[in-house]
Amino acid sequence: MSTVSQLALLFIGAALVNNILLTRFIGLCPFFGVSGNMETSVGMSLAVVFVMMMASSATWAVWEYVLAPLGVGEFLYIPAFILIIASLVQFVEMYLRKASPILYRAMGIYLPLITTNCAVLATATEAAKPGFFKMNIALGASLSLGEALIYTLGVSVGFGFALVTFAALRERLDLAPVSRLFKGSPIAFITAGLLSLAYVGMSGWFGL
Amino acid sequence: MDLMLIAKAIGALAVIGLGTSAVLATAAKRFHVEVDPRIEAVAAALPGSNCGACGNASCFAAAEGIAAGEKPVNACVAGGQKVADAIALILGAEACATAAVISARHCGGGIAAVRSYTYSGVTSCAAASRLAGGPLACSAGCLGFGDCARACPFGAISMDERGLPVIDPVKCTGCGICVRECPRGHITLLEMVPEAAPVVVRCSAHDKVKGRKANCSMCCIACKKCEKECPSDAIHVIDMLAVVDYDKCTGCGTCVAVCPQKCIDLYGRVEGVDAVVADGAGPESQAAPLQVGA
Repeated sequence: MSTVSQLALLFIGAALVNNILLTRFIGLCPFFGVSGNMETSVGMSLAVVFVMMMASSATWAVWEYVLAPLGVGEFLYIPAFILIIASLVQFVEMYLRKASPILYRAMGIYLPLITTNCAVLATATEAAKPGFFKMNIALGASLSLGEALIYTLGVSVGFGFALVTFAALRERLDLAPVSRLFKGSPIAFITAGLLSLAYVGMSGWFGL
Repeated sequence: MDLMLIAKAIGALAVIGLGTSAVLATAAKRFHVEVDPRIEAVAAALPGSNCGACGNASCFAAAEGIAAGEKPVNACVAGGQKVADAIALILGAEACATAAVISARHCGGGIAAVRSYTYSGVTSCAAASRLAGGPLACSAGCLGFGDCARACPFGAISMDERGLPVIDPVKCTGCGICVRECPRGHITLLEMVPEAAPVVVRCSAHDKVKGRKANCSMCCIACKKCEKECPSDAIHVIDMLAVVDYDKCTGCGTCVAVCPQKCIDLYGRVEGVDAVVADGAGPESQAAPLQVGA
């Protein structure tokens, strides 16, 4: 039922207008934890894109074919999704280790780190069972697999974009003449607040 | 009560759980990666506390590096000579001597040191030092919230009634985590010294001596008595602070006895000295000059 323009809106809405880090405030631990330098934040962003896409496809399938038909999804979705995401990441880790040691080395530390990350769980839940974020797109009560994947790609790209931007800002902050009282974490929190204001400024774009 | 719904919920979770565990079990067999058996053996020989002193994230990562020959067999700082020998036996490599170090505290102030404001925030040195450099008037002294004691994976550091961390030189493995955790570690409040270091100066201030004395009664006043009295030319006042040259120090204890501020202590894994007891006790408890280990 969806047109290309609606899919584009879904992507932009997920990535920018409803940015998961700076508008929804979900997944703030990696936002502060790994934004210390550019290299780790890029690695983390790529791992998040990868894991979120896998997790959303899995939770979508489980919701569609197991939980919803049985009528138990309303109260069982969180334990079920945690279980699925955790074992999926384990599986991917094993597979990568065998199939592509180079990729495993590059992503190795971040994969277990984001297994039960709240941003991953929130996105995978939203993709399978929309309604929590209340985005004004006329796509119907539930998303098709394609729509769910585009939505997830939007969220994860938005996550990466915000994380890398913030990491760049923090690298600049290290060299900036910041007052002694604000050096380190305090100025980082203030910067995150200003960055968040900039993102909140986008709310209402395209009627999203 | 809807028994049918409960049964369905249990069934659904059971199916998902069994399904994922079956997939994982198969994958573990199917995608099993042959690893160098020496890695396991080296990992077993390492202490396993994941202290990170060697520069690796975990003991297992260090074991991989050692087995691959990228790191020397004595890479483990915490394990010392014993672990290095064990690993050398596994790998058939020549063991080399490790330079053992232990942590030492260069401060005797504690709760006696003057505060410039009352700190009532989170009880952590890292947090306190971020609020205008910490509540202490002395810019180098111990903040006393015990970040080092909490960070020590070997339980070698305990906070005493003076508000100072007491390091047990026998338990200390020299991993250096406390020095990295200490917000003043970079100005050598905590420092790694050779394990047999017989004496340690309990002050790390470099401020002007006059202001320093107003801030803390325990500080080094740069009087140079220790420098003049030392028979082996091993202690010098550098930048208004007594510093021990451990290459020359014989542990005769002269400086401990002459220091008017009593800010030099006997320390280290030296025979006949209980460094935990000697900590801050001054020369009275150790009147007799000690004999450095045979």
